[in-house]
Amino acid sequence: MRYRIVHKTQYTTVEPISVGHNEAWLTPRETPNQSCLSHQIEFTPEPSIVVTRQDHFQNTTTQFAFNQGYDKLVVTSINEVEVRAPEPTALVAPPWESVRDAVRTHQTAEDFAALEFTFDSPRCRIASDFALYAHSSFPVGASIRDGITDLMRRFFTDFKYDSTATTVSTPVEQVFRTRRGVCQDFAHLLISMLRSIGLPARYVSGYLRTLPPPGKPRLVGADASHAWVSVFCGPLSWIDLDPTNNQFPATDHITIAWGRDYVDVAPLKGVYIGGSSPRLVVSVDVCAIEE
Amino acid sequence: MTSLPLITSASPPKPLLSVPEQAPQSVFNEAFDATGQPRPAWQKLIEGVQKIPVADFAHRTTQANHLLADNGVTFNVFHEGAKSQRPWQLDLIPFIIDAPEWQKLDAGLRQRARLMNWIVKDCYGSQSLIRDGSLPPEVLFANPGYLRPFDGIHQEGPSIVAAAAELARGRDGQWYVMADRSDAPAGAAFALENRIVVSRTIPPDLNTQPVQRLAPFFLRVQNTLQNLGSKLAETPRIVLLSPGAKHSYYFEDVYLARYLGYSLVEGADLAVRDNRVYLKTLAGLVPIDVIVSRGIERGIDPLELGGGEPHGVPGLLRVHRGGKVVIANVPGSGLVESPIFMSFLPTLCRRCLSEELLLPSIATWWCGDPAQWSYVREHFEQLVIKPAFQSSGNEEILPRSLSAEARKQLLERIAARPHQYVAQELVERSAAPVFHQGSVRVGHVALRTFLVADGADYSVMPGGLARVALSTDPMELSISAGVSSKDVWVQAVSPVAPVSLLSAEDEPVPLRRTNAVFPSRVADDLFWFGQSLDRADFLSRLLRAVIERLTAEASTELPELPSLIRALADQGQIEPGFAIESMSVRLPHLREALPRIVANVDERHGLSAAVSELYRLASLERLWMSPDTYRKVRETAERYRSAFVPGRASLVDLLDALNQLILDLAAVSGLIHDGMVRGPAWHVLDMGRRIERSKHTSNLVRSMLAPRGKLERAEQRALLEVIDCRMTYRSRYMENVQQNAVLDLCLTDETCPRSLVSQLISLALHVDALPSDGKSPLRSEEKRIAMDAVNSVRMISPEQLRDPSATEVLRILALMEPDMKHLADVLTNKYLLHSGAPRQITSDLELPQ
Repeated sequence: MRYRIVHKTQYTTVEPISVGHNEAWLTPRETPNQSCLSHQIEFTPEPSIVVTRQDHFQNTTTQFAFNQGYDKLVVTSINEVEVRAPEPTALVAPPWESVRDAVRTHQTAEDFAALEFTFDSPRCRIASDFALYAHSSFPVGASIRDGITDLMRRFFTDFKYDSTATTVSTPVEQVFRTRRGVCQDFAHLLISMLRSIGLPARYVSGYLRTLPPPGKPRLVGADASHAWVSVFCGPLSWIDLDPTNNQFPATDHITIAWGRDYVDVAPLKGVYIGGSSPRLVVSVDVCAIEE
Repeated sequence: MTSLPLITSASPPKPLLSVPEQAPQSVFNEAFDATGQPRPAWQKLIEGVQKIPVADFAHRTTQANHLLADNGVTFNVFHEGAKSQRPWQLDLIPFIIDAPEWQKLDAGLRQRARLMNWIVKDCYGSQSLIRDGSLPPEVLFANPGYLRPFDGIHQEGPSIVAAAAELARGRDGQWYVMADRSDAPAGAAFALENRIVVSRTIPPDLNTQPVQRLAPFFLRVQNTLQNLGSKLAETPRIVLLSPGAKHSYYFEDVYLARYLGYSLVEGADLAVRDNRVYLKTLAGLVPIDVIVSRGIERGIDPLELGGGEPHGVPGLLRVHRGGKVVIANVPGSGLVESPIFMSFLPTLCRRCLSEELLLPSIATWWCGDPAQWSYVREHFEQLVIKPAFQSSGNEEILPRSLSAEARKQLLERIAARPHQYVAQELVERSAAPVFHQGSVRVGHVALRTFLVADGADYSVMPGGLARVALSTDPMELSISAGVSSKDVWVQAVSPVAPVSLLSAEDEPVPLRRTNAVFPSRVADDLFWFGQSLDRADFLSRLLRAVIERLTAEASTELPELPSLIRALADQGQIEPGFAIESMSVRLPHLREALPRIVANVDERHGLSAAVSELYRLASLERLWMSPDTYRKVRETAERYRSAFVPGRASLVDLLDALNQLILDLAAVSGLIHDGMVRGPAWHVLDMGRRIERSKHTSNLVRSMLAPRGKLERAEQRALLEVIDCRMTYRSRYMENVQQNAVLDLCLTDETCPRSLVSQLISLALHVDALPSDGKSPLRSEEKRIAMDAVNSVRMISPEQLRDPSATEVLRILALMEPDMKHLADVLTNKYLLHSGAPRQITSDLELPQ
């Protein structure tokens, strides 16, 4: 599938900002199943400087700064991305314990790269409650694919999407207690559960197609940034899970960036001097392109 | 070392000091061996101490601590509120380390710094130590001090440029490292200052042996920074980046900047433009090559690191990645402060340097390792528990001092997240003699040593900072711990040649007439200093004029008093009601209320606020004024403050205080006027004064003149008195007081330094002297405002001065205050722009759905 994605972020302030420095995680990643055909970010006003860099997780970030003041900032990221469904694999999924143990001893570069996704991070916590919940899906010797499939299914049944239940700072422990939240909460909690049983899990920031294919229901989380989970499965590499929609993402999900959790890949961060608190308006449009 | 002469006295012999030989059995005795004999290195010192009369030693100790107070060696001296000020107490008995002992320490410390540097580069680079299992992954990936933005920024050259180690000597005589410091290590300037003060005040009897000097170490610091910057510029511009006056070690920031000869800057002084970092100065942006960062690394770039209290500047890491600035220490160096590293150092030393670790750490067990955790559980009460990932010293728990219940809870807490804790052996620190409250006692010593990168190796300061506690309980690992500090003498094998930073080489320098850089923030502070100075002077004169009359016998009959009181009200010093009500009703109230009003520091426009602002700004910008000026300002403020006994000050006390204050302020003015180089600092400071004085003079004349356009004789005399030209008037006109001559002297006489026009002329000259971009062919706005003000007063004619209703004079005076305010705004925006602290905003607002 090919998509054209327009992600527009608009900040308006009453008092003009005198100097602003920003960093954006808005460039879609290249992955085995995804190619970024074109990418550009448009800014109004024109920044004094725009530089890109690779962050710790090899995401491409864009730093831009304004030396002159402004009272309104519009950042529009325009991308064309091709997404392919993961190739069916002939490999047999290994028992989940062998993945856990291989990462713990990290003999290969892949295992070592997965290692840092098994620890606490600013928004994800390792806890015995979470491990207990996850273990029901991972009996001794279970294949890792069966385990994650079952865990996602149970999670989808037990947790209810509710955009009024949480705020950006709601801790995962509370989401676990109240069983309500939005995609970010679900991603953080599912990651916490997987890490709690020693499996490497990371946070994926991206988009969903806005309009479903004919005859399919519209997915929850379209029209905005979306977030889901990727879990390391040893020889099967990383497998994505979308706990909000109980899906293994195929061609409806577009990946921008990944990290330990939201904090690593928030779409826009900034430091401002002067000005009042900005008002924020975001819109995301993900359009399938006819081929 | 030079010493003060001994105090001689003809009185009978005084009691001498005696040094206790015994120390607790459980600790190492630094000064005496097991038989009670002084150790060789200490022998001369001990003999010397025992020749000194107690009173003499006490006197010299007081002198030493006065010197320190005078130099402002205190923690948090600039912190608001006097309570947080903590004077640095100095014990004149030095701490001695003999030459062989020091050689061992020197080698061990250098090796340790090389090792730490290796570890930092690896952890923020290839992570081979984690990959090959030399370190458990928790060391990085569970460590909140591992900051991913620092990944890959550790290139050529040392990452740890400056390091410190916190040492204690165990019972076995072995030195142990209690903590490693590599995130803006503090204390080197305290060690230097201790040395300087001890050299001046120590009794000659104690000063009899060769001691290694400290100055070469600081020369090495300069050379290293110069070398690091030389890849960017032949003569790199080096700044010392301070977190500002709130910083606990701000004294040290100021001291080091002055001693090393670098500009002291704060985050708001710096700006990242395009791919470089610049210093905002009065003359525009100046590129910076080397930043010595004195705040914690987490604050270096609020854009990439977010949150907290950043002291750096957004975008700085980007400039660093581009290789266009050197930051010392390279951010990330602080990682190895986490005590978790201590439990792996012997292995790491073999792995990284192929050497055996020379200087051991205090025994450390990491609870994340099952075998070590079980040892910790078994020996729980003999250990101290610390968070594994915070720099050592922040939080320490002594299980033996907890209740059984609390111990159980602690064990559970650790068991839940064992990797987050380490346990360390408890050390009873070695004993050394300390002079405390009139006698020599046994103290327990913490030693901090300092290192700087030197090529591929490190140099150790031959000396350090010793702190003393009177008990053997664990001591905080901070440089402010203990009851007092000591100079550390490293025994020299032969007499030492003097070295000083101040005359490093005999080579003529290019002559110059300007300071290298003059930060805009400093200009702003000096501008306000000038304003506060004049405000304090003017208000004290006006208040004195009022109070002298209030305390006179027949004050109700003094015709000028209502005028003066009105002026006081117009200046916002007292409620307007005081000026309106009939005098007989209001005067008793005013007499009673005035001392309270004047003493109130919270009254923003009041005299006390002006004096304390003067002191605050002088403290902030001491680098830019002479030490005498600073001392005089401090003395002025302290004397003024002490004149007010809360709730008890009378008008007469107030009058005394004002008389003294006027003299003190004149001395400050004199020191500034005589001593200050006529450079940018002088221009902005004096500009502040002139603007303020122009406002005050014109407002005072207006207040008195406006109601009737005509002044009584007594009012005219009072006006001359407050403006301070009575003497000039009398010498010209004798007792013939006439309004036109009085107004001339106060407003239009260009030969009278107190007149309004003289202020404006000086002001216009200062404005002309400011740097200009030369872009516009016409005069800049600030120049036009200043010229216009001068001209308007110069255009006052003799007839207008004689005018019985003073219409034109009043019109011109009425414009003066708004004009001066406008001028100050224009100058501030163009030259002094104080941009304020950056705010953090993330797109947290943008919640993925």
